Amino acid sequence: MKVKRLLALALVSCLLLIAMAACASGDGDTSPDPGNPSNNPGEPVDPGSVGRDPYVAPTVITDIPRTEVLYINGLQWGPLAGWNPFSSAMNNALAITQDPDGARMPMFEAPYMYNILDNKMYPLLASGGVDGYTWNADGTELSYKIKAAAYWSDGTKVTAHDAAFTWSAGVQYSRDGNANWKAYIADVVAQDDETVVIKAVMENGKAANPLLMVTYLGQQYILQKAWLEKLIDRNGGDVSAIADDTSEDVVWSGPYTKYFADDTKIVLIRDDDYWGQHSSMWGKLPTPKYLSNVLYENNAAGDSAISVGEVDVSQQFIANVHLLWEELGLPISTYIAEEPYFISANMPTAYFNMNSSKPGLDNPAVRKAIAIAVDYDLILANAMTNQSPSFKDVPRSLMNPLPAEQAMYDRNSVSSLQWVGNDIEGAKKLLDDAGILIGDSGYREIDGQKLSYTVSCPSGWSDWEAAMHIVADAGEAIGIEMVTFFPDWSVYQTHLTSAFQDEYDIFMFSTQGISPAQPWSRIRALLSTTFVGTDGNWGGNFGQYVNDEVDQLIAAIPQESDSAKLKEMYTRLVEIYLTEVPSFSLMYRPEKFHIVNESVWTGFTEQGDGRNVPPVNCISGYAIADLYNLRLS
Amino acid sequence: MKNTLRQVFRSGKFVTGFVIFSAILLLAVIYPIISPGNPLQMIGLNSFIKPGTYVSVYDSLNTQRTYTFKLPGAAEKRIDSKLSNEDRLNIKDYLLRFGLPEEAVDIEQTHDLLALWWNNYDPELRLGSTIAENRYFARLDDKLAGIFESEDIEVGELDPDTGEYVRKKMVTETDYVNVSDVANVIRLPLGTDNFGRDTFRELVSAIGTSLQIGLIAGTVATLIGLLLGLLAGYLGGVADDIIMFFSNLFTVIPGFVLLILIAYSIDQSQRGVTTVAIVIGLTSWVWTTRSVRAQVISLRSRDHVNLSKLSGHSLPRLIITDILPYIASYVVMAFILQISSGILAEAGLSMLGLGPKTTDTATLGLMMDWAMRYTAHISGAWWAYYPVVLVIALVSFSLNLMNTGLDQIFNPQLRD
Repeated sequence: MKVKRLLALALVSCLLLIAMAACASGDGDTSPDPGNPSNNPGEPVDPGSVGRDPYVAPTVITDIPRTEVLYINGLQWGPLAGWNPFSSAMNNALAITQDPDGARMPMFEAPYMYNILDNKMYPLLASGGVDGYTWNADGTELSYKIKAAAYWSDGTKVTAHDAAFTWSAGVQYSRDGNANWKAYIADVVAQDDETVVIKAVMENGKAANPLLMVTYLGQQYILQKAWLEKLIDRNGGDVSAIADDTSEDVVWSGPYTKYFADDTKIVLIRDDDYWGQHSSMWGKLPTPKYLSNVLYENNAAGDSAISVGEVDVSQQFIANVHLLWEELGLPISTYIAEEPYFISANMPTAYFNMNSSKPGLDNPAVRKAIAIAVDYDLILANAMTNQSPSFKDVPRSLMNPLPAEQAMYDRNSVSSLQWVGNDIEGAKKLLDDAGILIGDSGYREIDGQKLSYTVSCPSGWSDWEAAMHIVADAGEAIGIEMVTFFPDWSVYQTHLTSAFQDEYDIFMFSTQGISPAQPWSRIRALLSTTFVGTDGNWGGNFGQYVNDEVDQLIAAIPQESDSAKLKEMYTRLVEIYLTEVPSFSLMYRPEKFHIVNESVWTGFTEQGDGRNVPPVNCISGYAIADLYNLRLS
Repeated sequence: MKNTLRQVFRSGKFVTGFVIFSAILLLAVIYPIISPGNPLQMIGLNSFIKPGTYVSVYDSLNTQRTYTFKLPGAAEKRIDSKLSNEDRLNIKDYLLRFGLPEEAVDIEQTHDLLALWWNNYDPELRLGSTIAENRYFARLDDKLAGIFESEDIEVGELDPDTGEYVRKKMVTETDYVNVSDVANVIRLPLGTDNFGRDTFRELVSAIGTSLQIGLIAGTVATLIGLLLGLLAGYLGGVADDIIMFFSNLFTVIPGFVLLILIAYSIDQSQRGVTTVAIVIGLTSWVWTTRSVRAQVISLRSRDHVNLSKLSGHSLPRLIITDILPYIASYVVMAFILQISSGILAEAGLSMLGLGPKTTDTATLGLMMDWAMRYTAHISGAWWAYYPVVLVIALVSFSLNLMNTGLDQIFNPQLRD
C-alpha cells in the first residue's frame, strides 16, 4: 500500500515537472530574450545596432510541425553532394544555384536581387536603392557599396574584399575559371572596405558588354574571403579537390542555412540572427522557419504531392493546371488567374543541322517550308495544355513574349515574315517554286535524292516528344520523309553539343529566358558563330549556322546605347532569322513554373497585387521577398 | 475432338471467359470497320476533354430549321446549371464575411441571394482568405453575370467593307435544333486523352495491338517452352541437364527485370510492337519448359511409347504422334496463360516507358503511360485510364477463367 502511494506521488511529481518544463519552453518561444534581442523572429533589431552573434547550430528534430515548413518541389531531384557554393558540382538546387534570372538566395547572397518582372536590380548585400549601382563617366567601371548591416554567419562583417576575392578566387581556383564572365569582366576590386568596383573588358575603347556586368550583380554570390582562403588552403589550391570539397564548415550570409539532408529530402532552417532583419533591409525575418524540397521520384509524384497539399510551391509543369481549381476546387493557384497562368519567356526551339550530310537542309526554302507547315496551336494545346501565349498572340521573332522585349524590335517591318503555322499549302508552294518536287520515291527530291530527316529530342520529355511528333507530321504532309527518333538524354546531349554530329537533322533545345543581358544573350546563343565548330558546346547555335552579318550585329549591340539604333539592329536580326530560318521556336514556355497550394501558407505573389514580386519559387532573385510576406492560412 | 469441344463448352467458367474474351475481340475487330478513322489523330485542341456529345456551335447557328419548345422549368434548369448548391453556400459564406447577419441570407431564394451578391460583391475587398478563394469568387461573379436574362440574342456578322455588324439571326430561349440537322457532331464516349485523341477509338485500337502482342509473345514463349520441354523430357541425360541448367538460370533471374534490361537495351526507334512481343516471349518460356518436361518424363516410359520406339519410329514422329497429343490440352492451357501474361507484361513495360515506340501505335500500356505522364489522375480525367485498366483486367480475367475451365476438364485430379 505504502509503495503504491509512493509510486503515485512520484508519478504526480513527474507529471508536474514535465508540465512546468513545457510551460517554460513555451515562454521561451514567445517572450524575447533580453540578452539576445535579435533572437526574436519578426521583431526588427534596433536600427542603430548592427552586427550579430556567430551561428550556433540547433539539434536536429525529425518531426518538424507542418506549419513551420515551406515545401518547394521541382528544384532538386537527387541527393546533394555538399554545401560548397564555390563548386558547381554540389547538386544543391535549393541553396546553391546561380542563374541569370536571379541566384537562389536562401543561404548565400548576391549584391543584388534580379526581378524578372521589371528587369531591375534590388539591393541585397549592396546598399542604395533599386538599380543603385553606379557607372563611371566613360561607362567602363561599375561600382556599388556593401550594406553596413550585412554580416556573415560567423559574426564578421561582409566587406568589399569578400566580393573582390570571390572573383579572383573564381578565376584562379574554380573549374571553369569564370570563363563565362572573363570575356566581359576584367576584374573585380575593393576600392575600400565597402566599395566594390567591377572593371570591364574593353573592346574598341568601350566596355565589351555592360549588360552582362549588370547580370553579374544578380547572378553571382559574394562568398566570405576568410572561408574561401581556408577552403583553398586545405585543398592545397587543387582545383578538382576544391570543387569536390563538401564544405560542412561553410560561412553564409543569407536567412537560412543547412539543417538536414539525405536522399529523401533537404531541409534548410532559418538563421534567427540573420543580418537582414535590420531595418535597412527587410526589417524582419522570413516567415517559414524551415524550407524543404522533398525528392520526388518524378514529375507525376511531385504533382500528386502538391495536389494534396504536401507541397506549397511547385516549380513543375502540371498538365491542365486550371482543372485543379476549376473542377476539383483545390486551393491551388498560379501567378496569373487566367491562361497562360505564368510568365512565359523561354522558347523551346527546333534547330536545323547545317552539318547534315542529307540534302536540303542548307536550303532556306526547305527550312522555312517545314517551319510554316507545323501546327503550333496543336503543340501549344497538347504539349503545353495552353499554358503559354500562342504565336497568334505574340508573333514569332527572337524576343521573348514579354512586352519589354517585344518593344525592342519593329514588328510592322517584319510582319510579312512572321508565320503562324499550319500553312501546308504555302509550304508546298514554297517548295514547288524552289523546284523541289515529288519524285519517284513519293517524296520531294533534290538531284534525285529524296528529302528525309531525323527528328529528335530526348526520350521521356513528354511535351517535347509531343511537339516533335507534330513537326514530323508537318514534314510528311508537305512531302518530306520524317523519322522520329527519341534517344536517351545521356546520348542526346553528347550529339547536341557536338559540332560535327550527323545523327539528328531537326532537333530540339530550349533558349535563354529572362536576364538583364536579354535579348542579346539569347540571340547570341541562337545565332553566333562563336559556338560553331567547338565540341562540348553548351553555349548555343547547336545547328552550326554561320552568317557574317549576324556576327557583326551581335558584336555591335552590347556597345550601342542609342535605343533607336538598337531597335534597328534587333529588327534586322529578326528579319534575317525569319528569312533564313536556321532554327524555329515551337512554343513559348514559362520561365519558371510557379504553382502554389494555399492549404498551409498564403500571401504568395500574384499578378496585380501591386507587390511586384516575381513568381519564381520564392527563393530566386527578388522572389525571396515572398518569404517575408507569407502567413499561415 | 467434337466430344472434347462439347465437354469444354459445358464448363460454365470456360464459357463465361470465352464470352467476355470474344466480346472484347469482336469490339476490336468490328468497331474500326463500322467507324473507320485514324485512332491516333489529334482531334481536340484541349487535353482530357470530358466524355459526351459535342455539337458544333457554328453549325447549330447555321441550321436551316429551328423548332420552338416551351419547356416548363427551362429557366430554372439554366440557372441550376450555373449555380450549384456549393456555390450557394459559398455565396452565403462570402456575404457573412462581408458582415450581413445570418438570417438575412437564404440560399434557397435564388433571386434574393443573387441580389445580395451583386449588391455586395466587390473584388477589391479581397474577402477570401487565400488567392484561390478570391479567384473563385471572381470566377463565380463572371459566371453569374446575366444569369436571369432571357432576352433574345442577336447573332451578327462583321461586314469587312463597312466594319459594321449586320444582324444575321435572332436566337430566343425557346429555340431548339435537332442534333441530326447539325452538320458536325462528335460523340466521344470516353472523351479525349492528353493529345486530344478520341480515347474510345484509341482504346479499341489498343486492344487489337495488345492482343496481337499477347498472341505473338504467347506463341513464342509456348513454342520455345514446348520444344525445350519435349527435348529435355524425352532425351534426358546431358540434353536434359543443359536445358534444365538454363531454365534454372532463367527461373532465378526475375523475368520482369530481364525484360526491362532487354527492352532498355533496344533502341527506341527499333522498339516496334513485334519486337516488344518477341522480347516478352523470349523471357517467359521457363515454366512451360519445366511443366512440359515433367509431363514428358512420365509419358516416355508408357507402353505405347515403348512400342512405337520398338517399331523404329523416328524421334520427331515419336514426339509428334505419341507424346504431343497427350500433353496438347496442357499446352493449350499454358498458351492461354502466356497470352494473358504477355498483355500484362506489355502494360508493365509501357508504364515504365519501355514499351513500343510511342505515338506510332496505341497499346493498353502506352495509354496508361501517357495518362500517367500527363497526370490524368490529378486532373480527374478518369476516362483516360480507368477503361484501360478495366480492359486489361477483363482480358486477363477472361483468359484465366478459360484456363481454369479447361483445367477442370482435362486435369484428372480436378475432374468431377
